[in-house]
Amino acid sequence: MEKIWLCGWADIEDGDCRGFDPFDEGRDRLFVVRQGNRAFAWRNACPHRGYEGSTMAWRKHAYLNAGRNRIVCSSHGAQFDIETGECLAGPCPGQALEPATVHRDEFSQLYWLTNRMQEK
Amino acid sequence: MKIIGPDSLVFGVDDVASCNQYLTDYGLIPKEVSAEGGRFEALDGTNIEIRHKEDTSLPAPLPTGSTLRKTVYGVADEGVLEQIAAELGKDREVIRHADGSIEALDDMGFALGFQVTIRRPLSLPDEIVNAPGAKANRGINVIGADEDADIVPRTLSHVVYFVPDQKKAEAFYVERLGFRVADRFTNLGPFLRPQGTLDHHTLFLVHTPPEMQGVEHFTFHLGNPSELLQAGKRFVDKGYESFWGPGRHVYGSNWFWYFNSPMGVHVEYDADMDLHDDSWEPRAVESSADVSQIFNFTLAKKWMPGGDPH
Repeated sequence: MEKIWLCGWADIEDGDCRGFDPFDEGRDRLFVVRQGNRAFAWRNACPHRGYEGSTMAWRKHAYLNAGRNRIVCSSHGAQFDIETGECLAGPCPGQALEPATVHRDEFSQLYWLTNRMQEK
Repeated sequence: MKIIGPDSLVFGVDDVASCNQYLTDYGLIPKEVSAEGGRFEALDGTNIEIRHKEDTSLPAPLPTGSTLRKTVYGVADEGVLEQIAAELGKDREVIRHADGSIEALDDMGFALGFQVTIRRPLSLPDEIVNAPGAKANRGINVIGADEDADIVPRTLSHVVYFVPDQKKAEAFYVERLGFRVADRFTNLGPFLRPQGTLDHHTLFLVHTPPEMQGVEHFTFHLGNPSELLQAGKRFVDKGYESFWGPGRHVYGSNWFWYFNSPMGVHVEYDADMDLHDDSWEPRAVESSADVSQIFNFTLAKKWMPGGDPH
């Protein structure tokens, strides 16, 4: 397991979301929603049948609905629970987002814990 | 039955401000934009209309919650409108609106509007390229590459529905509204062309489970492939998320570049679609990556090969 630096904790506004493209591929690998002291990290990969793995944002960092209480896939409008990743509405009922593991260290820096070899 | 194609697509959305911004940045001309929504026009007046999802003036949403609330078709004249009203009135409610348009549901439950088309005739130059041997070239000392070129979508091209029953959906458009099948992906559905246009398709149906019913994408025609590539690049530079392309389809020959959108559908730039008339024999094939595109590129960052040798 490797620690890949994402950002400082304060770089994600409370209630907001940030997408991360740590390998500079032009599309995010993961995104993190911050709620108070908690962070919920998910793979940028919609589980929607036939479109598995589709990128979900419509613009950089734009993964949430207007009320910022759901994750929305802007491919076909699927909505997901921020905490559980479960699909709540839209084209992939019964499916869920794949979690990513992130860690906030003692200096309030946020890291993605992953195996780079398996990512590539 | 001279239906020309979609004049307007009406969406009921969660995030009105983001949709307004998105369609403006896509290149459409914003009209009557407010916190309640707006209309976003191509050069010929065809448009996307954005409203809040709770707006009570909109037709009811599909059970899946798809954001597309109405597809408004432009027809040649009042006579066609009456023909459609009479045909659909046989087995369903046809609503007549004060503006003269009519409204009814298709056999899948999509709300359709019909109006005498608002399309303004276009008279615009094509891109002229310098092709060896060609009679018309751009000309001497005429520059082709223009970073600041004004690129505005010309006309609303087509919309793609996810439908739970492709046979029934197709029969409605073919038998009741006179659409022709241009080509067909046997496992997905038909590309459909109404009688008032030569465009390969203005509607494509994709067979899916019922919980997916809704819209895959819509697109406007740009002037040519150069405009498509340049408009798409600008859209990426504004932070928007490419989904597929740029590339070129096989059926229809149109160049494509698809993006995610805050309406929760894909939005495409499209250029150079084939034209057909009724002498065209539809092709049919099972869909696959190979038959759906000739090529598919991904935008790469600009770079300077060799750097600075000095």
